[in-house]
Amino acid sequence: MIYLDSAATSFQKPPAVYEAVERAMRTMASPGRGGHEPAMLAADLALDCRCDAAELFRMDAPENVVFTFNATHALNIAINSLVRPGDKVVVSGYEHNSVMRPLRLRGANVTVASSPLFCPAEMEAAFAAALPGAKAAVCTVMSNVFGYITPIDDIAELCQKNGVPLIIDAAQGAGNMDIDWKALAAAFIAMPGHKGLLGPQGTGLLLCAQQGMPFMAGGTGSDSKNPDMPDYLPDRMEAGTHNISGIAGLREGIRYVRERRPKEIGRHEAVLMRRLAENLRKISGMEVFLAENEAVQGGVLSVRHELVGCEALAECLGAAGVAVRSGLHCAPCAHQTAGTTHTGTVRFSISPFNTEEEINQAAEITKACVKKLLIDRK
Amino acid sequence: MQHYLILCRSLTYAQRAQRAVERAGGSGTVVKAPQEVTGGGCTYGVRVPAGKLDIAMAAIQRAGLPTGKTYIYETDGTLREVRV
Repeated sequence: MIYLDSAATSFQKPPAVYEAVERAMRTMASPGRGGHEPAMLAADLALDCRCDAAELFRMDAPENVVFTFNATHALNIAINSLVRPGDKVVVSGYEHNSVMRPLRLRGANVTVASSPLFCPAEMEAAFAAALPGAKAAVCTVMSNVFGYITPIDDIAELCQKNGVPLIIDAAQGAGNMDIDWKALAAAFIAMPGHKGLLGPQGTGLLLCAQQGMPFMAGGTGSDSKNPDMPDYLPDRMEAGTHNISGIAGLREGIRYVRERRPKEIGRHEAVLMRRLAENLRKISGMEVFLAENEAVQGGVLSVRHELVGCEALAECLGAAGVAVRSGLHCAPCAHQTAGTTHTGTVRFSISPFNTEEEINQAAEITKACVKKLLIDRK
Repeated sequence: MQHYLILCRSLTYAQRAQRAVERAGGSGTVVKAPQEVTGGGCTYGVRVPAGKLDIAMAAIQRAGLPTGKTYIYETDGTLREVRV
């Protein structure tokens, strides 16, 4: 199989990830639940993972790295912490439902700082116009649909100037972009463990500048007589038993990313994406959403065909051994901005493990699928 | 051998304190603190050998980590608070 759906979940992981998951299940219990060896091994592992994440994202305080179950969980905590019903919240036009739905649930008054695809200056201008009066802002670092790398540094600076706390959704950028906690000075940065960080499903991280509101309450193994959640991180935000086997795998994923370096991984993915795009452009009737400016698109590519439906194309590709995703990718906001809501797109997303040969094969198979589906149509 | 117990606000802080002590050339073990000294319920601390307390406290302070009270383990196993 040629796996090109890493924007949803990275499928291939470094071998150390699989080994660490099994080792944790066989040797570890839960951090903070006892002083015995299995509990302390788990505690050491959890702190090691926090420290590795803190170094990757250039944070000083590993205790401000909170484990979550995915990016959605992390974003819910962040939004719940900063947003009150009726608050004005500014978002980009490329946000995922993991941002839009929690904001709606919270009763936020959402202002979409809408801007055209692959136009960072316009996005910055839209944020500048929308930020006054806002209580919070949320922005992705990279569109999960189009791979559009947003001008997050500039948006973070604008938020600081306007005194608006920023929540960054790093779901598509963690592991393949340099994300500098200190430079961004965000209130929270949320990310999954199972995408670019190459960890197992059921893992995520929330980088916190402040304590925030617990999204769940429960046992923490600390401050037990207190009827409320502890007032310090990470305990305040981590109720219940940790996914320690997942965290073990995540730690190895992070170590791999640190060794190979996010920027290099991002470059590898972007080069392959561009090669794929150039090949797919040769297919008659295929619309390829490719940025002219190479700097503003990562390893995610959306396409659609004027005659062949996205679901049919993705199904044909799947049957031929190419794993991609079709539809709206849980981001109707992004499709609305790009004008693709009525069709959706077929999304190809690259991982550090994809090769040029795979990309060439995927393009050939796509061509064959389009041809077949066009014949079937007649 | 006599030991001291340096209370920490949480397991994570106790672990960080222990690592700071070891980086400074001292030794320490993260332990679950006895209920009689925790006040708020479960917590953890770093147990350090007598004679190494100064090194440990200095290392923890240099790392900027908050600590709670410090206790000495009496020969009967009970804990007595000490001023450091």
